[in-house]
Amino acid sequence: MKKLYSNKLVITSLVLPGILLFVFAILAPICLSVYYSFTDYSGMGALNFIGIENYKTLMKDETFFIALRNSLFLAIGFICIQHPLAIIVAAVLDKLSGKGEGFFRCVYFIPNVISVAVIAYLWKFIYNPDFGLLNNILKVFGVTEKINWFSTDRAIWSVLIVLIWHGFGWGMLIYYSGIKNIDPVLYEAAAIDGATQIQTFIRITLPLMKPVIQVNVTMAVISALKQMETVYLLTNGGPGNATQFTATYLYQQAFKAFKYGYGNAISVIFIIICLIATVVLNKIFEERRPKKEVR
Amino acid sequence: MKKKMISVLLTAAMVAGMTVGCTTMVHADDEITLKVFSNLPDRKNGQGLVEQMIIDEYMEANPNVKIEVEALDEEAYKTKFKAYAMEGMPDVVNIWGQPSFLDEVLDAGVLAELNEADYADYKFIEGSLEGFKKDGKLYGLPRNTDVAVIYYNQKMFEDNGWEVPSTYQEMLDLAGTINEAGIVPMAMDGGDGWPMAVYLSDVMFKLTGDYKDTVSNAIANGDFSDQAFKDATQLLKDAADAGLFQTGYDSQDYGTAMNLFTNGQAAMFYMGSWEASMALNEDIPEEIRTNIRVFTMPVVDGGKASATDIEAWNGGGYAVSANSEVKEEAIKFLNYMYQPDKLSKYGWENGVGMSAQDQTDYMTGDETELMKQIVEIVTAATSVSGTTINDCGPSAFKTSIESEIQNVSNGTTDIDTFLTTIGGSCK
Repeated sequence: MKKLYSNKLVITSLVLPGILLFVFAILAPICLSVYYSFTDYSGMGALNFIGIENYKTLMKDETFFIALRNSLFLAIGFICIQHPLAIIVAAVLDKLSGKGEGFFRCVYFIPNVISVAVIAYLWKFIYNPDFGLLNNILKVFGVTEKINWFSTDRAIWSVLIVLIWHGFGWGMLIYYSGIKNIDPVLYEAAAIDGATQIQTFIRITLPLMKPVIQVNVTMAVISALKQMETVYLLTNGGPGNATQFTATYLYQQAFKAFKYGYGNAISVIFIIICLIATVVLNKIFEERRPKKEVR
Repeated sequence: MKKKMISVLLTAAMVAGMTVGCTTMVHADDEITLKVFSNLPDRKNGQGLVEQMIIDEYMEANPNVKIEVEALDEEAYKTKFKAYAMEGMPDVVNIWGQPSFLDEVLDAGVLAELNEADYADYKFIEGSLEGFKKDGKLYGLPRNTDVAVIYYNQKMFEDNGWEVPSTYQEMLDLAGTINEAGIVPMAMDGGDGWPMAVYLSDVMFKLTGDYKDTVSNAIANGDFSDQAFKDATQLLKDAADAGLFQTGYDSQDYGTAMNLFTNGQAAMFYMGSWEASMALNEDIPEEIRTNIRVFTMPVVDGGKASATDIEAWNGGGYAVSANSEVKEEAIKFLNYMYQPDKLSKYGWENGVGMSAQDQTDYMTGDETELMKQIVEIVTAATSVSGTTINDCGPSAFKTSIESEIQNVSNGTTDIDTFLTTIGGSCK
């Protein structure tokens, strides 16, 4: 066996498929994207090399910064609203033993198994000012005004609620698995020492969940930055650009406005931002680890 | 022995391979597969049904031809069209005879040139082929003559004592009255942007009587400071401010807006004449579908256009791929579709609105009231606008105006900012 693994041919044949997949499915498209971002390519016909013109335009493009702001706003929404809620619900579910635990775990996960298109249309109908469920419920409480949930100032909040609701199940499930992996002996010891449930949660559950939180938060930030399909189907970035996100704006410029080169410039900046976000998040979580070890 | 075995096996494999190859070639000679890429995903109603009927007939008349249809809705269609343009087009495709779509496509050279002389007897309406030409060469054929109209529920109007408005101001006043009755005055697909851009074109046409030169100059110079643009945008904003459209119109899509009207929650619906098939759609309650009537944009105070000057254009159509391996058959199929007794006749019989070909021969008198009204509007027209403003420029301009028009109509941006922004997108 050892001999087999020292055979370079075997090593190459085992590594090659992975490398090829990485080169052709990830590296080559990124390189092509960088190349196209320096051109005025419309997606069809001839292209001209225009240097960093697309990037210069991008830096002056107000809509791009609105889209970027909305993406970051969503990331903050995920971190500050969705994930704390998901951790709390996961912890409560863990305490619920018996049938209730399985039932609620399924209920919270249902939005994730429904197609994005269905989700978007479902919420479109819920938010509809004329016949939507939300306004009808409010009517019962005496609110007769037809509230426009997708008005320019409210739309981003309405979209945020849908996205938080939709992604909640995944986050909750991962936290739930993390909590289940914590050794019950620790909880028993804490109980013997007279710790309350809140103390147990803060001093045992949360510290031991740090690796899970790190993975979940990183994934949440990346998914906020690349958010596309739900927003596209829900508002298509509108009204105006009120719910424009980086990915929807990229799509709009590349495929609707026939500015493929410009769209690629957005995608390059987009990749850089995603990489920076990942590195920053890793740093944040890394810095705390040694402190813990010192303790 | 082993070598011999291998040789025998290899020879057998080679012979088998060649046989299969030969069979395929024979097969290919006999059978032709035409790929049709369509923007009509509903194959059981309206225009999609008409297209499918002709395809089925063609396959029956030509048993060696198999037609494969790929149909997507307009938005997805345009995106995939672009992908196809890069990697190879299907043989017959839907196109739009408007600069916002066709300019880039023709520059890329993906469409086959057609011989205009072949269509001398096809009864195309005067000028309808112009949008499909470049440098005098023809690259596609128009399918429809589209008219911007206001559908209204006649019974609802009569029951409430409302009158069809004859001026723009009357329409805005009527909006207030209808709102007081708890009904949406006019369902507007504002989420898509283009219907509002058509509305803007419609009021601008009523104001100017002819906007072609004003629009083409504005697009060429990226300067929309002409007073006509300001006045037309103000009229659109006045309509939104007067509550003519439903709450949240700027984020609602085609289906939602149409449902408001076809469910009796809205009194009017602003859309193109292609929706005339609503009168035949059995999914719409009978009380509503038999009472759908139509009028065109009322005249504007101080405007140069009369009531019979209408917002109409030749939009969608078909073309053949320049690199099609079965180009001859594809053109043959295209010509078959456009024989006057096919697309035009079937379209008429199925109430899908006006074709780009003369349809007077197919009138039976049994048409729906709605169809008759649209025919009257078109035959009585003293002038037509041509391509709508949003489709007159490059696609970057189209994208910009269709997004910014939501902001200006709902008051998020002012009119000057709107006009400066759309001007900027032309540069």
